[in-house]
Amino acid sequence: MKARVIVYALLTAYAVLSLYPFLLMVSGALKDAAEIRLDGHLIPSDPTLSTLARTWNELHFFTYFGNSLIVTGLTTVGVLVVYSLAGYAFAVLRFPGRRVLYGMFLALLFVPGITMLLPVVILQQKLGLIGTFPGIILPFVNGTAPLSIMLLTNSFRVVPAELKESARCDGAGELRTFWSIYLPVGRPALITIALLTAVPTWNEYVLTRVSLNNAAQYTLPLALQNLNSSTSPQENVLMAASLIIVIPVIILFVLLQRYFVNGLQGAVKG
Amino acid sequence: MASRFRSREALTGYAFVLPAVALFAIMGLYTVGYGLALSFARWNGFTPTWTWVGLGNYLDLIYRDPAIAPVVQGAALRTLVVMIAVPVLTVLVSFPLAAALNHITRLRSTFRTVFFLPQVTAGIALFYAWTYALQPDGSLNYILRHLGLGSIAQPQGWLGNPGTALPTLIVVMVLGSVPVAMLLYLTGLQSIDQSVLDAAKVDGAGGLRAMTSIIWPLLLPITGAVVMLNLRFALQDFQTFLLMTNGGPGGHTLVLGLESYNLAFVSGFKPTLGLSSALGWILFVVALLLAALNLRLLRSRA
Repeated sequence: MKARVIVYALLTAYAVLSLYPFLLMVSGALKDAAEIRLDGHLIPSDPTLSTLARTWNELHFFTYFGNSLIVTGLTTVGVLVVYSLAGYAFAVLRFPGRRVLYGMFLALLFVPGITMLLPVVILQQKLGLIGTFPGIILPFVNGTAPLSIMLLTNSFRVVPAELKESARCDGAGELRTFWSIYLPVGRPALITIALLTAVPTWNEYVLTRVSLNNAAQYTLPLALQNLNSSTSPQENVLMAASLIIVIPVIILFVLLQRYFVNGLQGAVKG
Repeated sequence: MASRFRSREALTGYAFVLPAVALFAIMGLYTVGYGLALSFARWNGFTPTWTWVGLGNYLDLIYRDPAIAPVVQGAALRTLVVMIAVPVLTVLVSFPLAAALNHITRLRSTFRTVFFLPQVTAGIALFYAWTYALQPDGSLNYILRHLGLGSIAQPQGWLGNPGTALPTLIVVMVLGSVPVAMLLYLTGLQSIDQSVLDAAKVDGAGGLRAMTSIIWPLLLPITGAVVMLNLRFALQDFQTFLLMTNGGPGGHTLVLGLESYNLAFVSGFKPTLGLSSALGWILFVVALLLAALNLRLLRSRA
């Protein structure tokens, strides 16, 4: 009994610590410009939604939200299309150089992001893609290659060969077999990959920061940074903007947690 | 007949991997090759040509340039501190948490969800919230003063005091890496055969004893994976530093990744792009060595 109390106390303490930054975001976003300057008290004396409304409307966070949706959406779709095709080839088809190519993609896992960052930006300039969405989406897609190929290849490998043979007998071609047999079976892995792509892309800051230069194209993280570097950043506005960034991620995570957890376990085991 | 079918299968295979390979060739191979070449040259990003310097950039970074080498050495030392502290603290926090979580049935999934929030939201929003809490008049000092612990409070702010800035950043990093580690330990704990634990109980081993002498050794492979993951994270992560302190105060939180970023993107017209590339490649080699070491440890265990 006593042990159980200690266990719950420990877990609750860590839960409070985990929730603490989010409580601050909510608390800060609900304060007005005068109250935020007082001190670090948590409960707003006169909670107001006007800070959130102002951030969303006058500070154009609905535009940045849209930009973030476009970048995250296109990156996720790109990853699903490109790497489900590749995963199918690696799992099902026999062709010379298959192992070498597979190993090459996995090797990308060991290249630190900072090693790639500068050459990617120079490449963007050469291709005329600097300051454009494709300029950041293409490297984002490529960056997920090791994990996506690994998880999708593994999930396609476990599809019984008889399923493929029977599709063949019905006269289905390769694309048809891929589309109507393998993709449905690989659905959990596809959802996992979608999540493991969408969440970091939504949060991505560094490459976006050095690529996008036009404020009308800013994604949410960049817009938040821009607010902070303005002449007189207001904490209540910063916290409201932060809340706008984290709420969609939290909703997505709570709804699709199962896929997320499976993916993280698979990523480490693989 | 058979070979014709095979060659057709091979062609289909190439067609299916083509988009991935094309993207990899441009965004991966080309950029890596370009970066490697640049690490042997001097360039500011604006002049039409590079000046080749051979290994000069590497030597400058490591010891030769009196303006850069001391900065890099200091950053290397701090990176090393982060690479030791983050994995160790992550294991020390996540293992007991997982054991506690495994001990309960009610609210287990709720706790797990809450614990994961700092991981999935890791990014600028979360870092700004922490920065806000750690300010001189921020919430952490406020709480400490109200608990009668005002002597611990940091009047300069937790990130403003050179003595507390790096440890504070390490704690923020650990909070972000605990969730995955906890999940791995939880999976490991759930896969331990109950009969092993029952046998221990018969032999008179208490809860804590069973934990240290049976469960901990059984989960050593997981500890290995957690340490490896976090070594890589500690070596490569500079976003936390860039957004929360930008290396400050007075360079006390400058790490190697951030220094490479600064040499590439905040050096104006100085010809430091090659230095930045060379530093990136030094980090790459360290990452490879760590991976090789990990593989070796795994093999020797098997």
